[in-house]
Amino acid sequence: MTAPAAVVAKGLSKSYRKWGRTRAFGTLKSALLGRGFGAALAPSETVQALSDVSFAVQRGETFGVVGPNGCGKSTLLKLVAGLFKPTAGALEVTGKVSALIELGAGFHPEISGRENVVINGVMLGLTRKEIERKLPEIVAFSGLEEFIDEPVKTYSSGMYVRLGFAVAVHVDPDVLVVDEVLAVGDEAFAHRCLDTIADFSRRGKTIFFVSHSLALVEELCDRVLYLDHGRTKALGDPRETLARYRMDVAAEEGARLAREHKEEEKNFLEGEEGERRAGAAAPGVAAAPRREAQLPFEEKPPVQEERVQQATTPAAPEPLEQKESLPRRWGSREVEITGCRMLDSSGAERYAFRSGQSVTIEIAVAPRAPLSDFVFGIGIFTPEDVCVHGTNTELDGFLPSRLDGPAVVRVTLPALDLGTGPYLVDVAVHSRREAPYDYWRGACRFQVDSPDRSAGVYRPVRRWAFEGPIALERK
Amino acid sequence: MLKNLAGLWRHRALVGVLVSRELKARYRGSVLGFFWSLLNPLLMLAVYSVVFAFIFPGRTASTSPYALFLFTGLLPWNWLAGGLTDAASSLTTHGALLKKILFPAEVLPLVAVVAQGVHFILALPVLAAGLALGAAGVLGPAVPVGWPLVQAVPLFLLEGVFVAGVGLLLAALTVHFRDVKDILATGLSLWFFATPVLYALPDIRSERLRAALLWNPATPFFEAWRDAFFRAAWVAPERWGVLVLISLGAFLLGYAFFDRLRDSFPEAV
Repeated sequence: MTAPAAVVAKGLSKSYRKWGRTRAFGTLKSALLGRGFGAALAPSETVQALSDVSFAVQRGETFGVVGPNGCGKSTLLKLVAGLFKPTAGALEVTGKVSALIELGAGFHPEISGRENVVINGVMLGLTRKEIERKLPEIVAFSGLEEFIDEPVKTYSSGMYVRLGFAVAVHVDPDVLVVDEVLAVGDEAFAHRCLDTIADFSRRGKTIFFVSHSLALVEELCDRVLYLDHGRTKALGDPRETLARYRMDVAAEEGARLAREHKEEEKNFLEGEEGERRAGAAAPGVAAAPRREAQLPFEEKPPVQEERVQQATTPAAPEPLEQKESLPRRWGSREVEITGCRMLDSSGAERYAFRSGQSVTIEIAVAPRAPLSDFVFGIGIFTPEDVCVHGTNTELDGFLPSRLDGPAVVRVTLPALDLGTGPYLVDVAVHSRREAPYDYWRGACRFQVDSPDRSAGVYRPVRRWAFEGPIALERK
Repeated sequence: MLKNLAGLWRHRALVGVLVSRELKARYRGSVLGFFWSLLNPLLMLAVYSVVFAFIFPGRTASTSPYALFLFTGLLPWNWLAGGLTDAASSLTTHGALLKKILFPAEVLPLVAVVAQGVHFILALPVLAAGLALGAAGVLGPAVPVGWPLVQAVPLFLLEGVFVAGVGLLLAALTVHFRDVKDILATGLSLWFFATPVLYALPDIRSERLRAALLWNPATPFFEAWRDAFFRAAWVAPERWGVLVLISLGAFLLGYAFFDRLRDSFPEAV
C-alpha cells in the first residue's frame, strides 16, 4: 500500500439542479423578460446526489462501488471520469482516465466502422498515428473484420458495443472506469471483457468498477465502497462491505414483503368478512357454489400434492387455465386460518432469509366448534408453481385429538437450504379424509438470498474432495 | 480560461477528424457526393443571374454585373449563417458525447464552423469561373481581377475566428435556452439585410443609415470581401486593424462565455 494513490476524493459532494416546471423548457426570451439572465442560470433548487464522500484508490487497485439505484454511483463515476465537476470537495485523479460508460458513444452511424474507430480513438485522447498503429489490433479484438468497412448504422447493437469496447480498452488508460457495460453483449463477449479487465489489473492499472452484480464485484474488487443516498455507508473489504449491503437489501426487501403481507392479509380477511356477511341470508351454502365452480377437491389427495399431480397427469384439464381459475382460498371453514406469519430463529417476523437460515411458519387457527379431526399442512412453492416441499401433521406422524379454541401452530425448518429467489407458502387445515376446512394459497411470500451464485432451487451444503494428480486452490 | 485556450491547439487533430467525419457523413449515400457543395453555389449563381438580369434589372454601376457581385457576398454570408446555425445546435445534437466521453466541448462548435468553411472553399472554383467570365466581360461590364485576390486568405481566417467566437457563444446559450435556435433563424434574416450582401455600402444615400450599418460587426468583413473579389482593391491597414479587433474580440468574448458555462454542459444537454 505504499503505491501512490491514483484517485483521491476528499469530502466529495455533487448536487444537481432540479428542473422544476419553471425551468423545464427555459427560454432565452423568458430569461430576458423575466427574472433576468443571471437568475435564469443560477440553480434554483438542487438535489444532493453525493455528499461528503472520501476515499483513496491506490494505484493498481480494483475499486468497486455498489449501492441501490439512485445512490450516487453513476455520479461518482462521472466525477472520476472527469465528465462532471464536483460541487464541493476535492477529487484528484492521476494519469489518463478511460471511461467505459457507454460503449460506442460518439460513433457516427453513416460512416464506416474503421473510420469511427479512428475518430473514437482520437476523441478518447490518442493521436492519429497511435490509433492507426493500433487499428488492426482493435479490429481483431472486436472480431468485426468482415464488417469493419460497412457503415456503423448496419451493425447490430452487440457489434456496436464490441467495437466500442475494443477502442476503449486500447486507449491504454492508467485508470479504467467501468460502468455496468458488461451487462450488454453475449456471454462470450462478457467473458472477454472480464478477461481484459483482469489483464488490466495484472498490469498494475487502477480500475474503478461499478456494477449491480455483487458476485462480480466480490470476484474482481480489492476494496468496495457502499453508497446509499449519496453517502458512504461502508468502505473496505469486499466481503464485509457486500455482506453489509446484502443485509440492508434483505432487510428492506423483508420490510417490503412484510408490508405487502399485512396488506394482503388485511384485504383477504376483509374480503372474507364481506362475503360472509353477504352470504348470511343463506348460511351454510355460502361456500358451496364457489367450491363447485372452482375445484372438485373432495376426493383429492392432500392439497399440496394436488397441484403437482395436476401438472404431471395428462388427464388433468389444462393446467394453465386451471391455475388461473384456482381460487386463493377455499374450504368449509370449520376451522379457519386467522393468520400466517414467517419468523426467523429469534422469533421476529421476517420475509427475507439467507439460504440455510432457520425459518418458522406460524399458523393461527380458530375452529367454529371443537373438533378432533384436523390436519395442518404447509407447502413451499416457486412462483412457477413447482412444489419445493409439502408436508402435513399427518405425514409427519401426528394424530389429532382435540382442537377446542383458537390455537397457534408453528413448524420450524432449521435450515432452509433454498437457492436465491422468491417463494410462496401455502398453508392449510383439512380433515384426515382431506376435506379442506381452510386452504390458503400463497399465504406468505418470502425471498431467499444465497451467498454464492450456485444455481437451482435447492442449495445444499457441499463438500468437495479431489483425488489423484489434481490441484485446486481456494480463491 | 487561458489554460483551456492554450489546450485548444492540442485538439486540432480532433477537430480535423471530426470535420472530415462531418463532411463524409453528409455526402455519404448521396449520388453526387462532394459535387453537391459545388452544385449548390452554381445553382445559386445561375438563379441570381437570371433574377437580377431579367426580373429586377437596373442596378447601380458599382454592383454590376450584379450576379457576380451578389455571389461574392453570398459565399461568405452562407458560411457565416451556416456556421452559426450549425454551431448553435452542435452541443445539443452531440449531447451524448459530452455526457459519456471526456471531451473538450468547444471542439463541437468549432467543427461546425470549420466544416462550413470547407464548403466555402469548395465553392471557390465556381467563384473562380465566375470571375474569369466577369473579367472577360461576358456577364456585363468587365470586372477587375488581380493581386488583391490574395487578401481572401487572411479574410477567410479572420471571418473564421469571428464566426467561431459568435458560434461558441450561441452554442453555450442553446444548451440552456432551447429557443436560441429559433431566435437565431429570425436574427440571421434580419442580419442578412443589415449586412451589405445584396447591396454595396457606398450606394446607401442616407448618411445616418450608412453610419448605423457600420455598427454591424459583419459589415467590415463584407466590404473587405468585395474589395478582394469584386473591386480588386487593397483593404487599408486600419480596416485590417478593425477586422482583427472584431474577430479576436468576438472570439475571446464567445470563448470566455463558453468557458464560464462549460461545467454545466454535461448535465444540461
